[in-house]
Amino acid sequence: MNRNLPLYLILPSLLLALFVISYPLYELINLSLSDVNRFGKVRGYIGLENFTYIFEDPLFIDAALRTVVWTVAVVGGTILFSIPIAVILNTEFHGRGIARTILMLPWAISLPMTAIVWRWSLNGEFGMLNASLMNVGLIDSPIVWLAQSATAFPVQIGLGILVSIPFTITIFLGGLSSIPLDLYEAAKMDGANAWQQFKRITYPLLRPFINMAIVLNVIYVFNSFPIIWVLTQGGPNNETDILVTYLYKQAFSFGHIGQASAVSIAMFTVLLIFTIFYARMVMKNEK
Amino acid sequence: MLTKMNKKTKRSIFCWLALSPIICVIVFPFAVMFFTSVKPRQEVFSFPPTWLPSQFVWQNYIDMWQATKFSDALINSLYVSFSATFITLLVAIPAAYALARYHFAAKSSYRLFLLITQMLSPIVLVIGLFRLIVWLGLIDSVNSLVLIYAGFNIAFAIWMLQNYFHTIPKDLEESAWMEGASFLQGLTKVFLPMAIPAIAVTAMFTFINSWNEFVLALTVLRTEENYTLPIQVYSLVGGRYTIEWHHVMAAALVASLPAAILFSWLQKKLVTGLSSGAVK
Repeated sequence: MNRNLPLYLILPSLLLALFVISYPLYELINLSLSDVNRFGKVRGYIGLENFTYIFEDPLFIDAALRTVVWTVAVVGGTILFSIPIAVILNTEFHGRGIARTILMLPWAISLPMTAIVWRWSLNGEFGMLNASLMNVGLIDSPIVWLAQSATAFPVQIGLGILVSIPFTITIFLGGLSSIPLDLYEAAKMDGANAWQQFKRITYPLLRPFINMAIVLNVIYVFNSFPIIWVLTQGGPNNETDILVTYLYKQAFSFGHIGQASAVSIAMFTVLLIFTIFYARMVMKNEK
Repeated sequence: MLTKMNKKTKRSIFCWLALSPIICVIVFPFAVMFFTSVKPRQEVFSFPPTWLPSQFVWQNYIDMWQATKFSDALINSLYVSFSATFITLLVAIPAAYALARYHFAAKSSYRLFLLITQMLSPIVLVIGLFRLIVWLGLIDSVNSLVLIYAGFNIAFAIWMLQNYFHTIPKDLEESAWMEGASFLQGLTKVFLPMAIPAIAVTAMFTFINSWNEFVLALTVLRTEENYTLPIQVYSLVGGRYTIEWHHVMAAALVASLPAAILFSWLQKKLVTGLSSGAVK
């Protein structure tokens, strides 16, 4: 058996991944340190000037802070909703299969499509959301949801939570199914009520899966572009911009290639830190 | 017996009640999508809006198909997704086999490399990817998407395949080799047939990922005849003064169907796959 055989086997995948990921990364590092005109022509090395520019841009600071709010709110909300949903779906009841399928539905439709459908549902005049809320008496007059950030951003967060729930409950259901049932039997014998059982058995044993779901969701949500882009493009007045939409506008609307590359590198650094967390978690699980 | 039945019925009522708010929110957009797509045009823009149309206008789907040049976008999406899936599998299967079967020096660093690439999304690298595509002379070409989708799907595909390959007993191809089969024969005649379910599941995930990708297609594709489905549907909404929402909803529904059907079929496999890391 040829000693180098495994290397030959991984080589094609390595080359393709390197080509598609490393080359762009190398370009980004170069561009972020260069003076670049709007057509992408490099005019020379300028050190960290692009980074000082973005860190002094109030729109960048706002977008960065909003990204923190967005990520924490979406991931936090997702975890809070997903735990009880997963616990319910893990108990036996009539029609559980149907319930599971319904809960997985948002996952089956792509984010841009979901966002487009919601954009129409949220329409101030003709949207069904206002009509439905007025029917059940929750609001008196139509709300133009996407016209002001005070309503648009919370709606986007809610939508972010909704589309993250299926993936998260999938992880939790896997975790719950690994908890031995006799633990609950024993707890019942000792007279523990449902809340005590959850606190003493379910939660601690689910904890590694919760950690995993938090890290993976943070990475996905931090990178998530379609919901905000399709609903508001970061508007009105850049008030729903997060880093990815700020980056996209800097690069492809304003032609600030150097500054946008600096944003990319900053985001890449943050992602790398999350990835290290994730990698350590995966390695630990494997041992 | 009766009390036991009652207990389960009670529990079922409680569970469904507890789930009902979230179920309403989940079903809501699907209902909007469907009912808008079959409304007569003037009813789409009537105030106050109503759920049910006065008549079901299935003709909307035919009109949409022509007005939005849907078949062009459908063909582009099929081409991109199938090609990206094919290339991904072509490079991922040997790599996953190596990771599942051999111990070698670079193994753990390669897995770390894959993990990092898996965490990166195209949006973070979008400027660099754009320059790569310009350099290749592939701007406005669906082939650029094929290449990049394949590159971004490799990590996930290898990870998934490798988990499956672990569960296939090593003795099978080894005994084939003992009996004098060549290395390649052992793999293609003995190992690959056993691995087909795993490869199929991985292929479907790669396909769905490519089918749904948005940011890169939005950035790279410039002319309508090259649009993939998400971009075609988005272009009916973005930057237009009048939006034909009944067409948009019909298009969104039809464009979502293939991936949604694949997905609901796969979902059970996914639950086991994510939790145990191995699916039989």
